Amino acid sequence: MHKRITRLATVGIAAAAVGVMLAGCTPASSGTTEDGKSKVVFWQQKFEDYQQDWFKAQVAEFNESQDEVEVELLVVPADTWDQKLKAAQAAGKAPDVKTTSYGNIKPMQASGQIADLSELMDADAFDDIAENIAPFVTVDDGVYGYPLLVEPSTVLFYRTDLLAAAGIDAPPTTWDELLDDARTLTTGDVYGMNIGQTAPDLGWSSWGLQYNVAGDFPLRGDWSEASADDPAYEDLAKFYQTLYTEKLMPQEATYPYADCSFFGEGKVAMSACGSWALGQLSANPDWAGVWENTAVAAFPSSDGDPTSPTSTLGGWTLTVDAKSKVQDESAEFVQWLLADDTDRLVDFFTATGFSKYPARVSVTEALAATPEAADDPFLATITEDIVPYAKAEPSYPWDVSLAFATSLEKAMRGGDIPAAMSEAQAAIEDVIKKQKLAGTGSD
Amino acid sequence: MTMSPQSTNRLATAASVALEPETTAPAPKRRRGVGRLSTHVMDNRTAYVMIAPMVVLLGIFVWWPLLYSFYLSTFEISFYEEPLFVGLQFYGYVLEDPDFWHSIGIGATYVLYTVPAIMIIAFLVASFIRTVGRKVAGLLKTTVYVPTVVSAVITSVVFVFMYRADGGLINWLIGFVGLGPFAFLSDPELALPAISVPGIWLAFGITTLIMLAGMYDIPQSYYEAAQLEGANFFQRTWFITIPLMKNVLLYLVVTATIAGMQQFELPLVMTQGGPTNSTMTPNLFIFNQFKDPTPYATSFSLTAALILFFVLGGISMLIFRLIRSDKAIDA
Repeated sequence: MHKRITRLATVGIAAAAVGVMLAGCTPASSGTTEDGKSKVVFWQQKFEDYQQDWFKAQVAEFNESQDEVEVELLVVPADTWDQKLKAAQAAGKAPDVKTTSYGNIKPMQASGQIADLSELMDADAFDDIAENIAPFVTVDDGVYGYPLLVEPSTVLFYRTDLLAAAGIDAPPTTWDELLDDARTLTTGDVYGMNIGQTAPDLGWSSWGLQYNVAGDFPLRGDWSEASADDPAYEDLAKFYQTLYTEKLMPQEATYPYADCSFFGEGKVAMSACGSWALGQLSANPDWAGVWENTAVAAFPSSDGDPTSPTSTLGGWTLTVDAKSKVQDESAEFVQWLLADDTDRLVDFFTATGFSKYPARVSVTEALAATPEAADDPFLATITEDIVPYAKAEPSYPWDVSLAFATSLEKAMRGGDIPAAMSEAQAAIEDVIKKQKLAGTGSD
Repeated sequence: MTMSPQSTNRLATAASVALEPETTAPAPKRRRGVGRLSTHVMDNRTAYVMIAPMVVLLGIFVWWPLLYSFYLSTFEISFYEEPLFVGLQFYGYVLEDPDFWHSIGIGATYVLYTVPAIMIIAFLVASFIRTVGRKVAGLLKTTVYVPTVVSAVITSVVFVFMYRADGGLINWLIGFVGLGPFAFLSDPELALPAISVPGIWLAFGITTLIMLAGMYDIPQSYYEAAQLEGANFFQRTWFITIPLMKNVLLYLVVTATIAGMQQFELPLVMTQGGPTNSTMTPNLFIFNQFKDPTPYATSFSLTAALILFFVLGGISMLIFRLIRSDKAIDA
């Protein structure tokens, strides 16, 4: 018998040894570099190439500017971001600083994932954040992310040459006008309009239109009950359904909503795209012919009221991880990069081709004073006609948006509209119950 | 990849563990001489030493993570705050979620579209390869194996281009007979059949080779005898090939079914589960649930994955029950 015990013990020791070996394989926890500097790990979600260039140059400059802190930049593609971040969090190796969208600030704050920057950064850094943007990053008295930029998610792009050829002298200002124009502009190879058409895209790209048609989102107030059965949303579903079933827009999502290539390739005469598409369109030499004839306008509202929101104001911030061992150094980097020298950010926004907009008052002013900004034909439309009326992204869980968008997609592809909306209602009620949302909302 | 070697190995192990619990029953009551007893112990000792590394590795990499997952699934997991014990609450959430069952249905439909087609095509190709000469057979074997080494992601991208309504190869071809164009990947009715085609293409090659290996194992004398008796090709196939390949076919059906239920890359790249969730396979559903930065999302996806584990185990058991697995007759 004792031999057997010995054998079991041997097995146990072997297992433990393997365990120790495996533990030894993982690198020591971050915090300091080999030469004694504090190491700050910074994950940047991959965006347009000029953004990667800018972040890379800034990180190099920061690392050279002092010898206390070493920032290590890692660019992570958007489609692997979520699982990579969760895996890192589970392993206790979350990045110290990361890019975070406005919509994720409140959910991340609620589960204690991000640090309150107002305790880590100089107070006057926060005074410079534009008044309409400050609430996006503020929860109670804490500020949980420092905003880099805002970008309206829905802007109407249109081809001046095609509209003129069709005898349309101004972009549409109501949904009915938009549908009529789209019918006129749809010819042979060119569709009159393009707009998001898959649930994952509709989930966020239709937020502004949801707000426009019903005056609020399908989950509102303190999030106690769903409002997807608000009859106003049936008009929204009808709008999408008409565009799709009358074949006024591309019939398959060759490109996702965030990619404005349908418009760039000349396959559509009008398109809903985010403001970032300005950067995409102007940068592609193959699309020069389209770019010459591109103009933008505020996306029409359902009833023609130009002050009624049709867009949300998306955008990106930098957040500091709540468990980071180098929170002060991380905040120092965020402050240096985003809250300090306005020239640094003016360079950034100039590089965007004025397709993204500053979140700081002083940067907006400095940018407006540059000659490039004065020459830009689109800047005034977006900063005067769209940004002031745009709404904040809803901060409820994505499941709510996706549930609504799945129903919207069903309706869009010809499904029964009231049935689809009551399906959305039930699905959102289910999310409220299971994720215990009732009473947690503050929109 | 629909038939990755990893998944097949794992399944083979799982299947043998699940279905052959008492293969070796030592006869302890039989009286033995003292000398024989010590040999017996020595034999056993060697055997234990030989299997120990595997048991240790399985323990570390399979059993412990599995048990720990069940333990974790009773919490609402947060990586930042104290996890909240919720018992079996998330099992209830998953089991009553219509979207979860819808995704299982999509997985099952995908299996129905792909597995019979893979089996039939592979069987016909393997039968054909067996009849041709050595050199041609070598060439054909290499050719049918090519899809197996192509990445499923690359296949997906290529098929997305082929399916495009504006200038896609498939719409161009069916245009000659006056059909189309169809937006294959944007039509809820067509999307799942459309992603099944690359699924079949990816899996039939390795299936063919495994079937071929099974066919080469059947003694040629059986066929000669049958031919002397006047049996035609179909009779030889029905009465000799299929019965003697039963275990091989069973293995292929089970692995292809499980791999089909677990299909992930094709819908992820080609349709993202759309349009209107018509290609939302179980794994893609779980993956999408995982994305939200909330503790709820983490726990829900973990629990859904564990429940899927039982669903897949149940399906494997069912197939094994329906097709009794026997030892080969000529063993």
